[in-house]
Formats: sequence, C-alpha cells, structure tokens
Amino acid sequence: MHFEPNSGDGAFRAEVREFIRQHLPPDMARRSYICSQPPDIEDFRRWQGILHDRGWGAPHWPLEYGGTDWTAMQRHIFMEEIYRADAIDYGWQGTHMIGPVLIAFGSQAQKKRFLPPMLRGEEIWCQGFSEPNAGSDLASLRTRAELVGDEWVIHGQKIWTSDASEADWGFFLVRTDPEAKPQRGISMLLVPMNAAGIRIRPIEALNGGRDLNEVFLDGVRVPCENLVGEPGKGWTYAKYLLEKERTASAYLYRNKRELEKAKQIARAEHTAGMRLIDTPEFARKIARVEADLLALEWSVLRILAGEKNLHDADAVVSALKIRGSEMQQRVAELQLDALGPRALRVFDQQDRSAEVIEGTPLWPSYVPGRLGQFLYARAATLYGGTREVQKNIIARRAFGL
Amino acid sequence: MDFNLTDEQEMLREGARRFLREHYGFEQRRAISAHLPGFSVECWNSYAELGWLALGQPEDAGGWTCSFVETAILMEEFGRALALEPYVSTAVLCARILERCGNVEARRSMLTAVVEGKVRLALAHQEPGGRYDARPISVVATRSGDDFVLQGWKSGVLDAPAADHLIVSARLEGEENPALFLIDAAAPGLRMNAYPLIDGTRAADVGFEAVQVSASCKLAEGSVVDELLQEALDRATLARVAMALGAMESVVQLTAEYLQSRVQFGQPIGRFQALQHRLAEMFVEVQETRSILYCGLAHVDAEAAQRSAMVSAAKYVTANAARIVGSQAIQLHGSIAMTAEYAAGHYYKHLFAFEKIHGDADWHLDRFARHAAV
Repeated sequence: MHFEPNSGDGAFRAEVREFIRQHLPPDMARRSYICSQPPDIEDFRRWQGILHDRGWGAPHWPLEYGGTDWTAMQRHIFMEEIYRADAIDYGWQGTHMIGPVLIAFGSQAQKKRFLPPMLRGEEIWCQGFSEPNAGSDLASLRTRAELVGDEWVIHGQKIWTSDASEADWGFFLVRTDPEAKPQRGISMLLVPMNAAGIRIRPIEALNGGRDLNEVFLDGVRVPCENLVGEPGKGWTYAKYLLEKERTASAYLYRNKRELEKAKQIARAEHTAGMRLIDTPEFARKIARVEADLLALEWSVLRILAGEKNLHDADAVVSALKIRGSEMQQRVAELQLDALGPRALRVFDQQDRSAEVIEGTPLWPSYVPGRLGQFLYARAATLYGGTREVQKNIIARRAFGL
Repeated sequence: MDFNLTDEQEMLREGARRFLREHYGFEQRRAISAHLPGFSVECWNSYAELGWLALGQPEDAGGWTCSFVETAILMEEFGRALALEPYVSTAVLCARILERCGNVEARRSMLTAVVEGKVRLALAHQEPGGRYDARPISVVATRSGDDFVLQGWKSGVLDAPAADHLIVSARLEGEENPALFLIDAAAPGLRMNAYPLIDGTRAADVGFEAVQVSASCKLAEGSVVDELLQEALDRATLARVAMALGAMESVVQLTAEYLQSRVQFGQPIGRFQALQHRLAEMFVEVQETRSILYCGLAHVDAEAAQRSAMVSAAKYVTANAARIVGSQAIQLHGSIAMTAEYAAGHYYKHLFAFEKIHGDADWHLDRFARHAAV
C-alpha cells in the first residue's frame, strides 16, 4: 500500500488546467457557475466542440473511437479540473451512456453514423427508460414495439426524460416480446426525436426548470437497423450502461466545487459583525460536510486505484451513490444556510440579465442559482436508482439478505 | 497510489487474524478481562515474539522499520478481536515520543525494552478538568540541583495500572515551558488509583507527591514538547481509528449473521426491508471509515498542520460512524445484545470508548474546522 500519486499526474493536471484557462469562455463559465446543471444547451454544444478539437471529446472511450488512453486517475484529475473551473461536464446520456453501449454492442453502421456527431456535440441524446409505472422497477415497463415489415412500430409513454425537447436522438427501452420473462423481452431502440408520432410534454420542475419531459410514442416507426445489438437484450445493455464509470455516482467533482462555493459565500456573508465562516457554529457546519466529503473522495480514490475491495463491487458502488447523493443535498443546504434570508429569492432559470451575471451590492453574484440547485439536489436520491433501492442492493449483495 | 496490501502486509494481516482467532475468541477475551491486569500477559509476550512490538520501531532498537500502514493493519485486527493489551499506549504513543525525543540513552534502552516486550508504557498527560486541551498546569516539576521534584495529579491515564514506566508532562516551575519525563511507575511518592473503563481497559489517576526524578529522565523540554506530543497523539489516534474500523467490520458481520438466523413471524428477520436498510446504512459507514483511515494514513508524515487536520477528519468521521454502527448493532439484535454474555454489546462499549479517547468528535471537528475554514 502506498499513497503517493504517480509522477506524471502533476504535469497532466497543469496541462489540463492551462487548456481550460485558455479555452473556456468566461461568460460560459459564469453561466455554469450560476446553474451548473443542466447546462445551457448551446453552451454544451460549443464546449463539447472545443474539447473534441483538442481530442478530449470523450476521454473514457477507446482511442480508436476518438477517446484517449488516459488512466482512470488522469480522467479523475481531468474531471476535477473541469468542475474547478466551472467548465461543462460531458453529456450524460450521450458520451457516458449510449456511446459506450454502441461501442460495445452496436453495429458498424451505428458506430459510424452516431459516434462522430456525438463527439462533436452536434447531436444531443436523451434516455427513454422510466415510465409512469416503472421507475426503479424497470422490468415492469410497458412501452412496446412490434416488427412490421422492416420497421419497428412503437406505442407507449416515457416520463422524467431529461432534455427530450432538445435532444436529436433518444435510446429507448421497449418491450418487444410480451411472452418472455419481464427482463428478457426488452430491447433497446434508437429513435429520432423528430419522428412522426412523438409528442413531448415538458414537466415544470420544483426549481422552475423544464428539462424533464413526458414523451408519448404513438405508432412511431423506426427502421429495423435502429435496434441495438440483439432483440431481448435491452436489459443487459441498460445494466452495462448504468455500470459504466462506477465512481460517477459519488458526484465527487460537483460536490467539491459546490462546497467551495458554500465557503465563498460564508466568507462574504457577515453576521453580528463577523464573517459567517469565522463563527464557531457555521465553521462546524462546514467542517462536518468537508470531513465527510474527504471520506467520499478517498472512497473514490480506492476504486480508481483498483483496490481489491473485500466486499461485493455492486454494494460498494451503491454505498458511493447513497453517500454522494446525500452529499449533494447537504452541500446545497449549506449554501442556502450561508445565504440566510437571501436564499429565498427565486431567480428565473433563464435570466441572463446584468443583475444576475454581475451581481449588485444587494444581490451579490453568488446568490443567483443556489436556490435552484438546492431544489434540483432533492432529485439526487431519486434518479439513477433511489436511495432505498441502493440499500436493497447492499443488503442483497453484501450480506445475502 | 496503490491500496492493495503487499505480500508482506498480507502475511501480517493473516498472521494476526489467525493468532487472535485462536487466542482471543470472545469467551477467551471475557476470561482475560475478568482478572487483573485486565489483559493477557501471555499474549503480550507472544506479540513480542511475533515481532508486532517491533513494527515501525527504529532498527537500532531491534525494530522493524516500516510504514505506519503496517501498524494500522495490525490495529484493525486488534479491533476485530477487541484485544485489551496496552499496545497503542506502549508501542505507538510512548514509543513514538521516545523515538523523537532528544534523550539518546532513554530512547535506546526503552525502545529496545519495548521491542523485546519487557516494558509497558503509558502517557500521563491529561489533567483533572483539562478535557482534551490538556496543557500541563497542575503537575509541576521543581529543579533540585541537576534533578527535579514532581508534584501534582494526572487523571484518566490510559493503561497506567500495568505500565512499568510513565511518560509525564509537567510544567517547569518558574518557566513557561513544559517538559516530558520518563518515570518509573514504582518511584517513591508515585500514587496510582486504578479503575476500569467502559471498554474493559484499565486507567488510573496518578499522583506525584514529591517524586524525585533524575535529570537523565528528562526526555524533552521547551517548545518541542507540544509538537512531540501532538505528533505521537495523532499517530495513536489513527491507530485507534484502525481499531474502530476492525471492530465495526466485525460487529456488522455479526449483525448480518444474526439477521439471517433469527426467525420471527415465520421468517428470518433479515427479510424485513426496514432491517435490511439499517444494515445497509451500517455498511456505508464502514466503507467511509476505511476511506478516511487511508486519508489519515496518507498524511501521517505530512507537515504538522496538515497531518493534524487529516487525523482529526479521520477521528471525527470514524466517531460518527462508530456511534451509528454500535447503537444499530444493538438495536438490530434486540435484547440479546444487552447481555454481557453476547459480543454485540462489547463492541458497542469499545466503540463508545473510542470516541472519547484522544479527543472526542466535537474536539476533532473543531480542530478540523480551523483547517477547513481557511
């Protein structure tokens, strides 16, 4: 056991930091600071293009598909620097989810058609898994597709589909064999979001955002070559995609950056004539979160360094998800606690006015966006498998219960 | 970075686990704990023979120079078995002070004796009412020619009753600086009021009534004393974090087995989701504890402020986890855990004591906060 970082990692970090410093437009960084998730879609496209031009369009992909040959630790450093600078994270649905699935299971034609525009940020993807009655229980999904001639005809409804209204393509889980066991009759289809028969209804979220949607599919037709891999294997591919980048569920980079923002606020805000951060009570609040985040960071490092964990890998990842998602909520709460009464004002998500961007003496620039992020963070223990489902996984995988 | 054990480290862990399984089963531990000195002298001698008392000690004292990771590995196994021997006091805390103090003769002779298992040591630093920010105030050393005379009380001195020598912090009369002395526990005028602690270890209040100390027993003096103490206490704290981790892993396993075997309402109680979720929460706490232990180990040789901050983070996170895991283990077992004949309650007591030794959760949180607020 040794804890020294690899000798080249420092130079790599410096290289990444310098690139971001030179290429990240300040206005984009500012928008990202205000409202780090989800990013403005135009910012996302631009930034993805900038990264792609540097060869960093999808660092976790194999080299031959336009990825990098970075080590897990280099990817970790890269993401730390992305968040530290308020740059924009990779599109989750595209390069992180469907990209790796296509690389592993897609046809040559699918790889050729879909991977390059995904890398360049030209095509946005959304994920059609959840249904009104199939949240964490994906096996019960009911959207169905039938092969008619050489086309799949899809009927059904999806919900909580992030970015559906802005996406060019979606990857959908559909039931193609109603006779098979629930998990075996599911297939994965690639669907253009402008296809006839698709209707998208935005769902206004607690934070005022409209990135969540209901998607209705009424006789949507896609050619049979839009099937990913084999029919009936959709469940396997979905599991594969959810298991990529196991450490992502710690939300480590976001949590570190948001904690830094909370501390910035506590340094700027005053109470009873002193900086909030200098009051023992608030200093303790910060310290509690920071100590727990430190533990989470080392949990991530253990996985990145390939520790042979004594426990089942799925259980370990579920522990990361539970801790990381709770940490998102705690950090967001800390920001609002630091803002005090200023925390309550609602800023329109789309507001890009000078007051929001530059701030004013009454409304400093660190205020806008924090309330929205706080509300958004409530979803962290819901999406990607609720906290309760994660606990079920731990009980089963670590203890055989 | 590499979190996997080397072959040697793996052997150490396996050897320790095997030895403790054979010599420190729960019933054996109960028997050991019931009689003075409250630990097993036979085991102590075995630890010397196995080379465990040499871990991390300097080579010129017959030690085995290695990183602090080895100590942590051994401590994790001690925690698993709830071993009662004064290992941390002797081989981590006092040995470290001796190793770094300026008194060459005391360092050589004492460390050699530690490695050979011939002496046990205790640090007498905490004072009545001083809680954890103990600065030597009530114990005063007065110069008497070249020698010193000690007067005053130390309280809650861990592992003192069976210690051959004590390292005592004292204020030098008429001077601002403190000093550290090595004092024979049988010295005339030294009084020891011994008592057991919640976790089965023994402690004592130690009184000094005109105890004569020769100049050759002065280990350190002046501004270095604080740093010597702090560094050694940080290491001892981390050793105890590793013990707490082992204890938690062990009691979580015990609890899981109980949930699988205990039948109520016609099924194993482990089928109930409410209980599964509690166990899952305990699992998360233990995972995070191992991670923060590694964070502490990675900074054990860092500069003082950084080291202390990371050790405090480790102690704070682990203390929180220990509360949750210890109390939930009892709750999930039900009344059986309340009996002294069952192990779960003993883990709870060990974990409770852990939180209060070398600075409690609040004390360490505040020390870490001074770092975090920067």
